[in-house]
Amino acid sequence: MTAGGVTTHAGAWIRQNLFRNARDSILTVVFGALLAFLTYRALSFVLGEDWEIQRQNMRNSLVGPEISGTDLWAPVIGIWLIAAAVGVMIGALDRSQHADQPGAILDPLRPAHWRQIAYRTVARLWPVFALVVFILLLTGSTTGLLVTLAAMALAFLGRAAGVRLPLGSVRWAALATALAPIVAVLIIRFGFGIDWNDWGGFLLVAFAGAAGIALSFPLGIFLALGRRSKLPVMKGLSVAYIEFFRGVPLVVLLLIGSLVIGLFLPRSLIPSEPIRAVIIFTLFTAAYFAEVVRGGLQSLPEGQEEAAKALGLPAWRITSFIVLPQALRNVIPAIVGQSISLWKDTSLMFIIGLAEPLRLASAFTRQPEFRGQGLITLTLFFAGLIYWIVSFTMSRESQRLERKLGVGQR
Amino acid sequence: MSTEPIAEELRDATVTRGAGGVIIELAQVDKFFGDFQALKDVNMKVGKQEVVVVIGPSGSGKSTLIRCINRLEEHDAGRIVVDGVELSNDIKAIREVRRETGMVFQQFNLFPHLTVLDNVTLAPRQVRKTPRAEAERLGRQMLEQVKIPEQADKYPAQLSGGQQQRVAIARALAMQPKVMLFDEPTSALDPEMINEVLESMKELARTGMTMIVVTHEMGFAREVADRVVFMEEGQIVEVGTAEHFFTNPSEERTKLFLSQIL
Repeated sequence: MTAGGVTTHAGAWIRQNLFRNARDSILTVVFGALLAFLTYRALSFVLGEDWEIQRQNMRNSLVGPEISGTDLWAPVIGIWLIAAAVGVMIGALDRSQHADQPGAILDPLRPAHWRQIAYRTVARLWPVFALVVFILLLTGSTTGLLVTLAAMALAFLGRAAGVRLPLGSVRWAALATALAPIVAVLIIRFGFGIDWNDWGGFLLVAFAGAAGIALSFPLGIFLALGRRSKLPVMKGLSVAYIEFFRGVPLVVLLLIGSLVIGLFLPRSLIPSEPIRAVIIFTLFTAAYFAEVVRGGLQSLPEGQEEAAKALGLPAWRITSFIVLPQALRNVIPAIVGQSISLWKDTSLMFIIGLAEPLRLASAFTRQPEFRGQGLITLTLFFAGLIYWIVSFTMSRESQRLERKLGVGQR
Repeated sequence: MSTEPIAEELRDATVTRGAGGVIIELAQVDKFFGDFQALKDVNMKVGKQEVVVVIGPSGSGKSTLIRCINRLEEHDAGRIVVDGVELSNDIKAIREVRRETGMVFQQFNLFPHLTVLDNVTLAPRQVRKTPRAEAERLGRQMLEQVKIPEQADKYPAQLSGGQQQRVAIARALAMQPKVMLFDEPTSALDPEMINEVLESMKELARTGMTMIVVTHEMGFAREVADRVVFMEEGQIVEVGTAEHFFTNPSEERTKLFLSQIL
């Protein structure tokens, strides 16, 4: 298509969609002006403010004030590990999805494919890249840049390895991807011996959120199945659990976990504060997941279970092969909504005195050189930005997953 | 059965026409849904390789009858014995019966998240523990039998109703059952697709499969049914050959029903 062709095409699109008639034109102009104004204000805020406070506290924001020196390599190694595993996973997925047309597999070791890979990666993860670029530009840290480039290189090489794995290794790649964050946590906690209480900032809430989601989801499925059980005890316990944890505010539960448990357990048996918070998040969110999954279970026609029974499948195989795959697929949006909800709830850890981003944001403004200058807008903006970008990415990934699994086109 | 029973004897639902022995026996079976009695003192036998067509108005208990045979419904009184195994609360016995009893539903009930081939191979692999390659070979053979081998890698939603129902037949056959139960297999189909399903069923009958078919397709009954059972209000009202039903049904209720569907 010639350049002129593109212009005509764009012009037609604009006329068709933005200036079709008088009403559309007025709406376009009004909202266009509003959008331009808001963009201008947002940009002049980000570019015009003096971000010195956030620049000096970047490390505090990301990993908390207690992790410094060589210990900083712990979270870095964790990120590298996860990047490499995700790369392998994406490569293996690409391979298995194009098993019948090997030419369509994107291989990082073929320079001809680089543009495609770069384009797709940025299209998929641009919010994360935008955040990383913002952080790197702000701090001007060479080490940060090198760490980022190394992570990208590892993901790249992981993908190259992934497309070379034998077909059918997707499940192993998926398992490795699921294990990578666990190994990363173990490295930070035990490899580097960084006490739970010293975890802070984004590292702390990422850990609490990921662990909370990973643990509460299976518990929620179990409770949902329990609630539908024919055994009165199972059913009763499940209902009681769900109704209790849905009925009590999360903040109250966090405070109970923080203050009351100490009264019942000997000192040596009390888990440290962040772990107690993860347990509370898990117990709380499981009740919500249970109801979401129950909705999914109810969406299945009875004939599905009957057909499976008639084939002689045992009950637990009916659940795992027929019922759950369909039920969960039907409620992906609600599952993701609940996950995002838990992710944002991690900021409530400020109530029990942990160094999560919100508490840190206000603590920075009490540092001697920044005191009393109203800088909390900046530090809160940054904390909120990180929360938003992770939530937004989760939401986009879930839409991808939905499209892939073809929800609604049964 | 040493001698072929004469038509008059077939008027008793417990007299079978199969080749050697009884495979399904129902004795004094009652079934209630709350206060509603869906089956009343049903006595019936089915012989090996016999094709029995069950007809009757809706709500007459014909679906309940065959759903009791593989325990999708629990009977409240009486005995049901399938291939020597009596159905009770014993989950092992139930699963043993289900392994030997294929069922085809009105609404197909294919698993929408699995490909056609996976639908067909799931039970052999998970229940019979057939290795994947063997199960897929068998599965493709079954799809061949119902004349849709080319659809193996599609998903059910990509198939027409008639094709879906034939996949459902192949899925049941892949377990190599001794008995096939059909619960109004053509009632949810567009008219132009009914024949392809009936053809598959006729073919199956010719291979000597024992079949109980709940249907209103009297043409099918006439062609392949050894016996026809007419039910009303949970009871077996009249039994006989298809010919008997066409020429001289004895009960008034049978005549009335036949006049409505023929």
